[in-house]
Amino acid sequence: MNQSIIEPPLASVYDLYETVIGLEIHVQLSTQSKAFCSDDARFGGAPNTHLSAISLAHPGTLPRPNRRHIEFAVRLGMALGCNIQRTSYFDRKNYFYADLPKGYQITQDRQPTCMGGTLTIPIGNAFKTIRFHHLHLEEDAGKSLHDTDSRFSHIDLNRAGVPLLEIVTEPDLRSGEEVDALMTAMRHLVRWLDISDGNMEEGSMRCDVNISVRKRGATTYGTRCEVKNVNSMKFARRAVAYEVRRQIDLLEKGGKVIQQTLNFDPQTGITTPLRSKENAHDYRYFPDPDLAPVRLSDAFLAKIKAEMPVLPTDLRAILIKNYQLSANDALILTEDKSVALYYQQLASVCPPVLRKAAANLVIQKILPFLQTQNIAIAHYPIAHTQLIDLLQLIEDGKINASAAYQILLPALLQEPQSSTLAMAEKLNLFQNTDTAWLETLIQQVIAQNPDKVTAFRKGKKGLSAFFVGETMKLAKGKADPKILNTLVMRFLNT
Amino acid sequence: MHTPRYTKLADIQADLFSNKTTCVELVTYYLHRIEKKRSLNAYIEVFQPESLQRAAELDKKYQENPKSVGRLFGAVVSIKDVICYAGHQVTASSKILEGFRSLYSATAVERLLSEDAIIIGRTNCDQFAMGSSNENSVYGAVRNAANPAKVPGGSSGGAAVSVQADTCWASLGSDTGGSVRQPAAFCGLVGLKPSYGRISRHGLLAYGSSFDQIGTFTRSVEDAALLLEIMSGADDFDGTASQLPVPTYFANVQQVSPETHSQKSKIVYFKQAVDNDGIDPQIREKTVHFIEQLREKGHLVEAVDFEYLDYIIPAYYVLTTAEASSNLSRYDGVRYGHRAAEAKTLDEVYKKSRTEGFSEEVKRRIMLGTFVLSSGYYDAYYTKAQQVRRLITERTRQLLAAYDFILMPTSPVPAWDLGAKINDPVSMYLMDIFTVQANMVGIPAISMPLGEDSAGCGIGIQLMADKFKENELLKFAQSIKK
Repeated sequence: MNQSIIEPPLASVYDLYETVIGLEIHVQLSTQSKAFCSDDARFGGAPNTHLSAISLAHPGTLPRPNRRHIEFAVRLGMALGCNIQRTSYFDRKNYFYADLPKGYQITQDRQPTCMGGTLTIPIGNAFKTIRFHHLHLEEDAGKSLHDTDSRFSHIDLNRAGVPLLEIVTEPDLRSGEEVDALMTAMRHLVRWLDISDGNMEEGSMRCDVNISVRKRGATTYGTRCEVKNVNSMKFARRAVAYEVRRQIDLLEKGGKVIQQTLNFDPQTGITTPLRSKENAHDYRYFPDPDLAPVRLSDAFLAKIKAEMPVLPTDLRAILIKNYQLSANDALILTEDKSVALYYQQLASVCPPVLRKAAANLVIQKILPFLQTQNIAIAHYPIAHTQLIDLLQLIEDGKINASAAYQILLPALLQEPQSSTLAMAEKLNLFQNTDTAWLETLIQQVIAQNPDKVTAFRKGKKGLSAFFVGETMKLAKGKADPKILNTLVMRFLNT
Repeated sequence: MHTPRYTKLADIQADLFSNKTTCVELVTYYLHRIEKKRSLNAYIEVFQPESLQRAAELDKKYQENPKSVGRLFGAVVSIKDVICYAGHQVTASSKILEGFRSLYSATAVERLLSEDAIIIGRTNCDQFAMGSSNENSVYGAVRNAANPAKVPGGSSGGAAVSVQADTCWASLGSDTGGSVRQPAAFCGLVGLKPSYGRISRHGLLAYGSSFDQIGTFTRSVEDAALLLEIMSGADDFDGTASQLPVPTYFANVQQVSPETHSQKSKIVYFKQAVDNDGIDPQIREKTVHFIEQLREKGHLVEAVDFEYLDYIIPAYYVLTTAEASSNLSRYDGVRYGHRAAEAKTLDEVYKKSRTEGFSEEVKRRIMLGTFVLSSGYYDAYYTKAQQVRRLITERTRQLLAAYDFILMPTSPVPAWDLGAKINDPVSMYLMDIFTVQANMVGIPAISMPLGEDSAGCGIGIQLMADKFKENELLKFAQSIKK
């Protein structure tokens, strides 16, 4: 594949332009049943099995709203700080297609349930706040398979009617990297809120990318093109890169960008027109007379609010401010909600002084262990109290850290029922803090190395480590390094 | 002239309970009547062996335990071909649904069956309930039993004639703009259109979703009340079905006797609907006479100007065709129904199947509805029509706050000759002028027989009440019956 097609060279002409991008992100919600009937909404199943007369749009059938669909939309709306509308409406979007049984899609056009909202995303080392125009509820269409059979297209209607949320941004994004960052953050958020699996491979999340370019400093937007159905972050970046270059080349040659809908082909890396504005569908939106307006009661909203988990950004701030964790540790701990919850629970029963150590334990020991064992954090075998005992032993200098992590922790993983203290005892890991004994050992080392003592006293201060190390060897590792260090310095300096 | 064997279910049940007849005998009688009146073309399909079998089962059930039978024991009912009945065809008198069988029963049908009704067949109608004369059907026109040269009215013409010709006890129709009341008037029957949302629309093929209601044809008000009571109420399959409790319409109506009823009502009529040269003189005369009779009985009857009358029909046709254009999109030849044999591409499947499968009138309304929803025209037509609907609703409900009922002729003209208006759709649309208001506003309305015209066909008088005031409407209708 020709890489130059994908990455526009940073020639000066391209630097004269600014890219402006807005997204329409479609999120499939993980409700049990479909948006407007009780058919199974889950991914998969043999083709055309998650169906009833309603999904098939048989004569006389009517839609029934799914409470969970509305609830999930409000949950995300609240997380993004949207203005939740007390009254909103369902509309019909009319068009004919073989995978659209009713000949119209139920969506929200004029008065969607969530208006506005923002999400702050990391871009490099900085943060950027992306504004949303609105979030609306709708139903998915079925799937058309055009390349499985040379003579026929195949239609699978299992997906027809699956609840979707469409998230429409303002034109606030400026690059493929920002598109990637927003999609990543959105995927993280919908998973955090338990409203979608965010799985792009299975189509649970996909986006239409609206792209335009303008000369830097311009105050009006250029003509935009819409790239449809981009279903991976990688494709999003490549589609943006290709399209930006195409539009700039066109403008530089004195041409004009025509507003059109494009298809991105991941095989060739190029976009091709699906239809132009003149041939754009007239969807003839109008209020769906089969569905009453969505009216949200105070009680309904209060319940959703009460059940909202702490949001990842808020939790990060708490971890940094209250638990004194580094920004990076906070980020790692909030990558997955189950990990964040685990850490929060652990930290809540932990003496404040051990919280930082607890974070390190989770990040450096528990997470890698989970990965190798392929288990969920909820199933980590060692109880919180046992882990805290372990951290406390280190903190109190009763066991040294390497012994704790390399001997005690693996032993506990083998026998999670044993108490930490009993296990440390059994393995004879307690450090000796008897200073008289240590002093004897230090004196022994000093006596055996008079030349190094002289060198130290003449200014080779780094040699102190040598004395500590030698003494530790004699102590067979059971000395508290802090105490040992203090004693060594005292002997060397007198 | 044939005299119907029964005029109300209570009489049928009296004969059944005194062993003077049986369900099988009753169904046999009606099947015989159907055969005799086949030339009226009221039925598309008669469920002959099935209805007899069900009758036999019900007779057995009764013999085993007379108390075990439902409230509709002995009720032989026909259903309009836009209402789903599991395992049976439903075609809306169209080619596009030729041979289509429903997987499920409409909620209204379920509720009738659970009270032991017998469904004897499905009746002819204007295609997709679009029409006022029942001439727009792939199965041909239906004839008025009182005068076969005349139309029975539409769109539920077959349903009306099935009762008129004494081929069943009662019939279910659908009423989007008068499709139950107008044929009831032409056929001399009681036609009830309940409030929007009173009866679930689940299983009723949609025409104008915000207007459609299932309605009934009966010979008596009390039977209309009984059917309404059984079919009404909330339904999980229809979010627009009302959650309001269902009153005991039947018992309440039974308590009313025209001789002793002493409650005085306040009634209003529109000057434009009575004192108007456009109204047929026979109808005007009978209506004026009826108003005088009401006054004599001590009711207050007043005339008002209803300034929006001329806007009702245009607004109604904009809104119903808009909804219909979308509702009928599902008939695309892809999953069921007629598919053009020679269609090669998806586009051809749509265009050819729909061109062949829909009648001219249905296509006219789909195109009109598509146009009024189109970008650039939406506000001028659809939005404007919605505004008109709101104004009419407000003014109507205002009147119904001051008066108990609105009265007017059911139709401005009597039943016309078959074929007389078939090439003049606009004049046909104007025939709905008095009936569409109730659908625009969502209020209940009833058409009561008011005698015969010079050709022997029925003339009706229509009464409307405020939303969900079926109870008051039916009681009043019972009190004024002849």
